[in-house]
Amino acid sequence: MTTPTLLRRADALLRDLPEPEVPAAAAWRSRLAIVTTFGALYGATMGSYGERPLQATYSALKLPLMLAASFAISLPPFFVANTLFGLRDDFRRVVGALATTQAALTLILASLAPVTAFAYSACGLDHRRAVLLNGLMFAVASLGAQVVLRRSYRELIAARPAHRAMLRAWLAVYVFVGIQMGWVLRPFIGDPGLKTQFFREDSWTNAYVAVWNMVAGVLSGS
Amino acid sequence: MAIVEADREGDAAWAKGFRDLDRILRGELTRLPALRDGEVPVAPGRLTWVVVGLCMAYGACMGTFSLLSPQGPGLMQVVASMVKVPLLFYLTLVVTLPSLYVLNALMGSRLSFGSVFRLLSASLGVNVAVLASMGPIVAFFSACTTSYPFMVLLNVAVFATAGFLALGFLLQTLQRLSIARTLTIATDLAADDEAPGAIHPLTDQYAGRRVRAIFRVWMVLFGLVGAQMGWVLRPFIGDPSRPFAWFRPRQSNFFEAVLHALSAVFS
Repeated sequence: MTTPTLLRRADALLRDLPEPEVPAAAAWRSRLAIVTTFGALYGATMGSYGERPLQATYSALKLPLMLAASFAISLPPFFVANTLFGLRDDFRRVVGALATTQAALTLILASLAPVTAFAYSACGLDHRRAVLLNGLMFAVASLGAQVVLRRSYRELIAARPAHRAMLRAWLAVYVFVGIQMGWVLRPFIGDPGLKTQFFREDSWTNAYVAVWNMVAGVLSGS
Repeated sequence: MAIVEADREGDAAWAKGFRDLDRILRGELTRLPALRDGEVPVAPGRLTWVVVGLCMAYGACMGTFSLLSPQGPGLMQVVASMVKVPLLFYLTLVVTLPSLYVLNALMGSRLSFGSVFRLLSASLGVNVAVLASMGPIVAFFSACTTSYPFMVLLNVAVFATAGFLALGFLLQTLQRLSIARTLTIATDLAADDEAPGAIHPLTDQYAGRRVRAIFRVWMVLFGLVGAQMGWVLRPFIGDPSRPFAWFRPRQSNFFEAVLHALSAVFS
């Protein structure tokens, strides 16, 4: 896909323009292209902290991987649940709407990349602040992607209200898996004090247990 | 009957079984016209193969935890879980089926023993389909979690989700079975226009008190026996600090163990 086409597709996705008669396969290709290209763009920016090209390359690979893997693992139970609640006929459109939302998320992230890069270079953030900054960017992008999600789900919910409950269940499972996926694929930003690695050796732990231990540590005052 | 129409010559039994399961999930086999004979038109025999296969797939996902933990019980635990998950469901069915049938007959339901068996087989199919669909999530968490209590709780949550959806299916199908009997052919054709899903509730006015009573008794019996059966058949996940064993000594019970895991995670 050429760059002008990709940008045109991305623009159409954001502005909800009716795409000019694209066959289903092409629509999927363009969503995938958007997620990988723009996801990699933000990943690279995120990993450019401390100006280490290797970390930037790793993060560029890992961000689209994180989104795609969480999506793929969460899909089977969603498929079975949709079937059980009589929504199987809409499943293609539903997955399309969810994939469009993912694409929108990466587009918003990519649009925030210059801000992140500016903050890295201009503010001299320490590693912890850099992590917080990126967390903020992801929060903004997730909120923005909600607009696209709502838009693409509106018709589905109007036709069959059961879609609303299904969507909530999807978000719960996807976030639950996605948080752990992000945790496992650390480091995205990379502490300059540590060696650059694709995976941390100690990263195969559980995000929720780690967070709980942190909270328990704070509460017990240690 | 509905099953006969869907069959294609020369298909393997498991392929037919999968198609049956798919039609159960879509709710095609539990629409009112399909239930006119007073039973769910499934063939329990070939559904069994699919159920066992899906149970084994989930068992493998469960066993992944011990496979990847350094001092854990390893590969044997995977094999053991693949054997034990199907056993868990079928032993529970064997233990509860007689009493379920007798209670159901006492409460004045007109379901025959065969219909009860078919109905429970279909519900088991729903349960196992949901369970297996969550297998990849469990395998993923198993691969990257070192906390044993967390895995216990995650698996309990997955089994509970699958169980509740299957119970929803069971309740809806029980209600539809009791409605189907009262309908004439003319009206049930009209009812088919909506084509609801497998768990979609029909109008509530039909929700007979008897159906709900039978359902509650079944739910409690099933839940208690199933949970305790799971406890007797443990370990499924494999505590990394203990050597491999097919069974653990009979002590304590399921509910105490879940509370213990909860306190272990949050301490």
